[in-house]
Amino acid sequence: MKIELLYPELATLYGDPMNMNFLLRAIPDAEVIRTRHGTQPAFVNGDVEFVYIGSMTEALQITAMQSLLPYKSELERYIDSNKIFLATGNALELFGERIVDTDGAETAMLGLFPTVAKRDMLNRFNGLFLGKLESENLDIVGFKSQFAHSYGSADALFTATRGAGLNPEARVEGLRRNNFMATYVLGPLLVLNPPFAKYLLKLLGRGDAELPYESAAMDSYELRLREFSDPKTGFDY
Amino acid sequence: MGALRYIIALWVSKSARIAMRILGKNATYLPGKIALKLCPDFLRRVGKPPKIVAVTGTNGKTTSSNLLGDVLKLEGRRVLGNRLGSNVPAGVASCLLMGVNPLGRSRFDIAVLEIDERSAHKILPQLQPDLMVITNLFRDSIMRNAHPEYIATFLEKAIPNGTKLLLNADDLLSARTKQENPRVYFGIERMETDVIECVNLINDMRLCPECGAELQYDYRRYHHIGRAHCPECDFASPQYDYAASKIDCAAMTMTVLDKLGAGEYTLMSDSVFNIYNELTAITALRELGFAHEKIAARLRECGIVESRFNRESVGNIDVVMQMSKDKNALAGSRVFDYVAGLPGEKELILMMNCLHDQKHWSENVCWLYDCDFEFLARDNIRRIVATGPRAKDYTLRLLLAGVPEERVRCVPNEIDAPDALDYAPETDVYIFYGTDAIDLAYRVRDKTKSLAAQAIAGVTE
Repeated sequence: MKIELLYPELATLYGDPMNMNFLLRAIPDAEVIRTRHGTQPAFVNGDVEFVYIGSMTEALQITAMQSLLPYKSELERYIDSNKIFLATGNALELFGERIVDTDGAETAMLGLFPTVAKRDMLNRFNGLFLGKLESENLDIVGFKSQFAHSYGSADALFTATRGAGLNPEARVEGLRRNNFMATYVLGPLLVLNPPFAKYLLKLLGRGDAELPYESAAMDSYELRLREFSDPKTGFDY
Repeated sequence: MGALRYIIALWVSKSARIAMRILGKNATYLPGKIALKLCPDFLRRVGKPPKIVAVTGTNGKTTSSNLLGDVLKLEGRRVLGNRLGSNVPAGVASCLLMGVNPLGRSRFDIAVLEIDERSAHKILPQLQPDLMVITNLFRDSIMRNAHPEYIATFLEKAIPNGTKLLLNADDLLSARTKQENPRVYFGIERMETDVIECVNLINDMRLCPECGAELQYDYRRYHHIGRAHCPECDFASPQYDYAASKIDCAAMTMTVLDKLGAGEYTLMSDSVFNIYNELTAITALRELGFAHEKIAARLRECGIVESRFNRESVGNIDVVMQMSKDKNALAGSRVFDYVAGLPGEKELILMMNCLHDQKHWSENVCWLYDCDFEFLARDNIRRIVATGPRAKDYTLRLLLAGVPEERVRCVPNEIDAPDALDYAPETDVYIFYGTDAIDLAYRVRDKTKSLAAQAIAGVTE
């Protein structure tokens, strides 16, 4: 099984890299391919089962987008073949149509989803997130810290129970097509959500694999789920 | 109209300051807030000392500016500083307000002002500092500062064109600030402990800012601190104008060389980040015209503020308070590396929880996965007690960092944490605490000392 980490030298922020560190410890026999920007991604040849990309700086979003653009049709084929792709944090914005800044400047993105990210670099949005992966009835907990929100009509990854969805007014969160999944929830999403990590392992055909320190991870998850479900807990910072 | 607003703001805020002082308050924030409310350009209009040194950066700005101010005071200068107050606009306004007479004229020779890097755009254009020190740029609060490149854009826009910059050549993130401004660079020459490959999770200067190629490090101290060059273009770390060398942590000495000569200095601390702080102050003092010998002599009279690191002995057990700013992965990584590298057996209490966030929301714990808890997996750390509201998160992070399960204790109530330690003779107990749990940390320290004393008495009997 091959797992591709897309642009790990760019996508380094907010603890996101720990997602695959965590997941890969459950499948130590997996072959890890680290694809640098400016080189051909491994998914182009079709023999990859899982691709991951995490949060990056706003300047590097452009570098990542430009690196992926020549392989847009191959990426669509990869998604159509039901293979797994996970994007966390502002990596989500790479797959929408464009990013629009408050001064009107627009940056075209890959356009795989009909969404537009509206960005305000002087006002950072911070909040908690409690939602559901409806198909599996899984509760998802996490954190958001971002300059942009996305607008547009696309299939969602999660349903927001509390906290902002794709934008503060939306009850849907993230993007989904087949097994392509993108979410604004950033940081160690899989570490904080062992049931979601197990779901991904199941999609990989490794549903029986044990997560590292699964019991401690579940303890932490269940405490956070109780806190986030408490009506007294504030959600927007 | 603007002048009238300023005079009203000056007198109202001065009156507020006097009233607060009578009530025993520090008056280091509210008077400035009033002044800025009444007169938004108060910082521009208020009288200032003839020389202003501003100090900003992610880490070390408090220690560096305090050292600089201390030496200047010892040299007989009337120094205005905000060390007792805040470094945001209201704090700086309060400080400048304190420094003027009722006519708004400054009573000081020089100002040494610590400036919050995230607030720099609201302060520096009005302050127009003569010298601007940037200690470094690192990741800080994910929620407030996002990433260092974001903060660099603030500084780029905020620093006035004529201001002379004092920059850390070993930090390529801040060294490129305002490239058209006059500047000098300071740095520490290669040390025995330097490496080439990054061993830290945070490594924010990987790519050439000119051509995007991967940078090659000639040597690396920690994270992105070190010297690098681009193999594809002519980009490289700048040369030092003030170079620290011959760092001898046993003799506690170093040499600082500049174009006018060399000075021999006593190290105030053996931690690299404090050596940078000392070098930063030396650079600023040299730029202000002081001789090496004078600076060295005065620095020997100064100390580094002890509120962040405090060691007390209870018999043959040392109890050490080590501040590690909450929600700050870099701060945690640096102190973990430093403490783990010290000789001797250790027991730790981790209580850097952000209690303020916990009270209103739930702390964003993403920073735990940017922080090098891996340093705590060393064998000289016998036990680690994770405590506070996020004890379970710390426990999981420690396990994922490779700390053996038998060494980790999860104790949610902080006051119970000292009970989980083993008070063996010749052990150092370290309590890592954040900035908003200081009182609680000192209560934990007191209980730790009490239990250590009981353990020693038991051994003696």
